Amino acid sequence: MFTRRRMLAGATALGGAALLPGIAHAKGSVTAAIYPGTWEDAYRAIVMPALKKTYDVDLELQPLFAVDEVAKAKAARGAPPFDCFVLDPGPRITAIEAGLFEKFDGKKLSNASKVPSAFIDEWGICVGAQVVGIAYNPKKLPRPKGWKDLLTDPWVSRLGITGFQTTFGTVSLIEIAKQFGGSETNIDPALVELKKVLSKIAAVGQPAAMPGLFQQGQCDVMYTNTQTVATLKGKGVDIDFVKPDTGAVAFYTTLHIAKGSDAIENAYKYFDTVVSTPVQEALTKAPYNFLPANKDVPIPPDLPMKSLDEMSTYVLHDWAKINPLRAGWIEKFNKEMAK
Amino acid sequence: MTTLTAKLRDWQLALPLALAFAALFLAPLLLLLGVTFFNDDRMTQPGLAQWAKFFGDPFNYKVIADTLLLGVKTVAATLIVGYPLALVFVDLSPRWQRVLLFVIVMPLLLSVVVRTFAWIVVLGHEGLVNTLLLRLGVITEPLKLLQTELGLVISLTQIEMPLMLLPLISVMSRLEPNLRDAAAALGASRWRTLFTVILPLSMPGLVAGCLLVFASSTTAFISQTVIGGVRLIYLPLVIWQQSLVVFNWPLAAVASMALLVSILTVIAALSWLGRRASGAVHG
Repeated sequence: MFTRRRMLAGATALGGAALLPGIAHAKGSVTAAIYPGTWEDAYRAIVMPALKKTYDVDLELQPLFAVDEVAKAKAARGAPPFDCFVLDPGPRITAIEAGLFEKFDGKKLSNASKVPSAFIDEWGICVGAQVVGIAYNPKKLPRPKGWKDLLTDPWVSRLGITGFQTTFGTVSLIEIAKQFGGSETNIDPALVELKKVLSKIAAVGQPAAMPGLFQQGQCDVMYTNTQTVATLKGKGVDIDFVKPDTGAVAFYTTLHIAKGSDAIENAYKYFDTVVSTPVQEALTKAPYNFLPANKDVPIPPDLPMKSLDEMSTYVLHDWAKINPLRAGWIEKFNKEMAK
Repeated sequence: MTTLTAKLRDWQLALPLALAFAALFLAPLLLLLGVTFFNDDRMTQPGLAQWAKFFGDPFNYKVIADTLLLGVKTVAATLIVGYPLALVFVDLSPRWQRVLLFVIVMPLLLSVVVRTFAWIVVLGHEGLVNTLLLRLGVITEPLKLLQTELGLVISLTQIEMPLMLLPLISVMSRLEPNLRDAAAALGASRWRTLFTVILPLSMPGLVAGCLLVFASSTTAFISQTVIGGVRLIYLPLVIWQQSLVVFNWPLAAVASMALLVSILTVIAALSWLGRRASGAVHG
């Protein structure tokens, strides 16, 4: 028998259930993987509120390195733990080969025209570029000129290096190899030269530990990207970025929709927000110092590039060639560097 | 019949845990074993190629040996520091025991990442130890403590200490205090009492502590890689590289099985030694 109390309880439950999602997620949400550190800080501070304001969509960020994103998505087998990837060129190719992306349609973005056409393809959109070079402590060391200097005194005894686990580590070791006769597909000369000075090198660490080691003075010179330098500088660390004499390395960072995502429309809104003019402009400013992907955004003078056209003057790498060799390089690095 | 029903009832009580264990530990373990029997990283070709690759490379034997040796060194260091501390603990008043227990448990309340990074601050080139020694004039150049096995064992000793102390204290607190007086009355020196009475009786706690510290330190990926750096190569690093960087899951699974079997072997040996030592006292 329906009593008034039961009717009220039922109505409250139904009404509450209908109301709750409205309170929690105005027009839904999207979960995006993001690099820990500067990227996470910047996207949390700038992109998250912008997406909420423009599209009323909640952004949830999952801090993950590129390789971790690919590993998690592969393990999830069609039920991705996030809706959007942020990737460097190497892991991007791995993910495409593993079928981890939904096809991407750039026409769905209202800001597509503001992004160079080469930045959009069938798999995703480029939202910025990273520049890799040498970072050093100007209070403790003279300014190094290039990659070769790293293996000579006074820099070598204060040098911190990482292996091939990350994009910045891989490209830096390739560039060192090139100085000694190596190439994009032959890193052996770098390992030979590193081995000669191995006892002098201050730190051989995990990529994620390097900023901490630099901050603590364990090493005073290392290869890294401009964003890490900006972050450390923002924390008061004495650090400067050097474009090596043979050229700094640049690579694109891209966003992709995870295969099997149930928030595809919100993923497009997220991408659209990321490349929008106000967001890109805010991202270029200190302490984030991102290189913009939006043509309407002027590049501030303290960034390593004056315009995105300069990308062609930077050292670029063919990750389709590098990827198949990387596993072997990691094993070689382990063996050559092991104590 | 009644006994059987009672036994079944006991089993029913343990059933949820047994099911959770089967679903969350045994099943993934079997899956892990299954993954090892693929030749390629895409897991399309069944075979033993990854086993052959891992065990065909002498470098991996060195990695296994180094991993086990790290565990042994950490166990030895925690034991040398921890056992006297446990002896002191049992002689303290209950009030001071509570204070010391809090100090012992405190590291467990901190995240392992925080504890590990704190050790960078302590052992670093410009860290506390080097700054102190330089100011005291003991050294003229900073010592290299970070990214060395010595530094790693020092930090693991502190990080793993609660795992050694808690079982030790638990067993030693239950020892009959009159035994020491009896030994003394019978003319035994303090050292003889320690080695012939207290040490054998505390063996269950000591073995439990050693097992926990050994298992935890050999698998302490964060501490090993952040404090030890990547020149000290242990199995967890190899597993991480193969699974998360190279995406060669079959090889990562083989390395995981190697780690599991190596640790289990040492643990079985330690348990056997512990049982023998306890048997020598009680039997």
